Amino acid sequence: MRRSVVVAMIVAPLVLLYASLFVGRFTVAPAQVARILWSNVYPIAHDWPASVETIVMQIRLPRAVLAMFVGAGLAASGSAYQGMFRNPLVSPDILGVTAASAFGAAVALLLSRNALELQVVAFTFGLAGVFFTYLLARVYRATPVLMLVLSGVIVAAFFSALLSVAKYVADPESKLPAITYWLLGSLNAASTGSLAMALPPIIAGSAGLMFLRWQLNVLAMGDDEARSLGVRTEALKAGVIVCTTLITAASVSVCGIVGWVGLVIPHLGRMLVGPDHRALLPMSFCIGATYLLFIDDVARTATVGEIPLGILTALIGAPFFAYLLRKTRGTWQ
Amino acid sequence: VNRRKSLIGVACLWGVGILAAGTRTHAADPDTRQLTDAAGRLVTIPARVTRVADPWHANNSTVLMLGGADKIVATTAQAQNQPWFRRLYPRIKQVPAAFNTAGEVNIEALIGARPDVILMAYDGTLPRWAEAVSAYHVPIVLMPNRSLAELKITVRMTGEVLGESESRVAAEYLRYFDDNIRRVTSVTDKLEARERPKVLHTASAGVLTVDGRQSVIDDWITIAGGINAAEVVGVGRPVTMEQVAAWNPDVIIVGTAPNQQNRQGILDDPRWRQIKAVKDGRVFVNPSGVYLWDRHGAEAALQVLWAAKTLHPAKFADLDLGRETRNFYEKYFHYALSDDELNSILHAAPP
Repeated sequence: MRRSVVVAMIVAPLVLLYASLFVGRFTVAPAQVARILWSNVYPIAHDWPASVETIVMQIRLPRAVLAMFVGAGLAASGSAYQGMFRNPLVSPDILGVTAASAFGAAVALLLSRNALELQVVAFTFGLAGVFFTYLLARVYRATPVLMLVLSGVIVAAFFSALLSVAKYVADPESKLPAITYWLLGSLNAASTGSLAMALPPIIAGSAGLMFLRWQLNVLAMGDDEARSLGVRTEALKAGVIVCTTLITAASVSVCGIVGWVGLVIPHLGRMLVGPDHRALLPMSFCIGATYLLFIDDVARTATVGEIPLGILTALIGAPFFAYLLRKTRGTWQ
Repeated sequence: VNRRKSLIGVACLWGVGILAAGTRTHAADPDTRQLTDAAGRLVTIPARVTRVADPWHANNSTVLMLGGADKIVATTAQAQNQPWFRRLYPRIKQVPAAFNTAGEVNIEALIGARPDVILMAYDGTLPRWAEAVSAYHVPIVLMPNRSLAELKITVRMTGEVLGESESRVAAEYLRYFDDNIRRVTSVTDKLEARERPKVLHTASAGVLTVDGRQSVIDDWITIAGGINAAEVVGVGRPVTMEQVAAWNPDVIIVGTAPNQQNRQGILDDPRWRQIKAVKDGRVFVNPSGVYLWDRHGAEAALQVLWAAKTLHPAKFADLDLGRETRNFYEKYFHYALSDDELNSILHAAPP
């Protein structure tokens, strides 16, 4: 990997993170942002209103950090799954985690739970959903890829039906719109509290994937080949599933359904550094962070109301993917 | 033989009579009447309406207020689940809820209820089930719902459909409503722009949504001498926390159940702490009774009073909201509220 690429992929999200702190509906000067940040490390005179500090430290910073980690985590998960399933169409929700989390969130909204409780319920349901999928896919102490995919379809369909039941019984004046908007995805729930709950699983899962990325290359050759090379494929697959599920369930539970990131970013990563997972995973991680942070800046700044994230990731992601596809004619595969 | 002939003759006459009755044109029929609905359609309804289906959640409370609730033969799950509606009018529990909360209809339950007429809100398009219902020749009267002025038209139309006595109550209610609006605007019209607080009305808490311009909510905020802080159009619009901070509302009204819990959620959240309304302790729970006071129900007449007193407590010091509410429930719902019950309604708690 060229050194310039490495530097760019590390610097880009950090620069954008700083920019995100002074971009928004509420004008805060870049220099003031710097002083507010500095004041949290080193005591200096506060010559700005408390409301500005709240916006920078309590609203924008948690939201931007969350956007980065969710984007990074989903992109890394997508890369790992595309390798493990040996299929470029796979996204992190293939084992039903999104559908299960969404149902959990809908239940929490129906019961009028607050944002943090919702996050816990959605996360738990997400883990449970994938656990069911894994049990269902397990035959003769093995989990063939095809069984995993089909079990994921079944579990996702079941939880989607339950989600429809939740929407069907929801109060149309308050609950139903809340469920609908939640499903479209938003990072508006970001707060220091939600960060404290979402980041540990995302970081743990990402670290696990980084640790496993050497062996993913072997797994991508197929179970039989991997086994003949001495890789314990079942343990490896289980490890990858645990890591991606932690990431995806934590992401979905805090910001709803954000499609496309886990599908598109790995392709972009492969274009830049090739299919070697040792380079691809960190690359996807950094691009994912930059991409979702950028999209969320648009979502919260473009209009007076909030544009749901799921709309933008697809609306910006799809044409971008189409452009890449035409330009390279799919040769990076 | 003669007797038999005459019997046949009578039978023939009887048959002809039935045929004649069957071919009578509607327009000339004294058993029907016509009215123009919100979509501008000329709708023919029976002269005496005794059975109505009401798929509009809020409008069920209007029918109850007008004294026509015994005519409701099909309602919605949401109206049926309003705790205060059930308390004040227990029969609603037995009425089939042919319409689910999402506004979808069970056609068989609806037709099985044999309604003379269906009352429905009109938002520019016919409800999706209208086509399916048209095969059964049950007239649908569409009523406007985009503003407080249109809400008043809806009350008048609902009375007109239900019958004479309900029409009389509707006229009385509209006078009362107008009196309340005049009572409030006589004070608030004189307010300077800087005296008008910016009011944020939240529609849901799990996902932050607010009620914006061109809505009933915007109308009563304006009448009560406030400015809707939410610069978006329509109800239940999602907004960012940051946008709320930029609007920095002077008053926040929590308009969704469980209101008290949602209000506490705002007070506990550090992101809201610097908002002016929170700093000034002006975060309120919108009352909710037979229906949500802030929307299209009968209690909108009380909402203008409550909002005025909430936004300008000093200017409406003489307004006894408890007495107004008690009188209203006594007169229109024929229910004497106890002190506890009154308190529950004003704080959006179930009975």
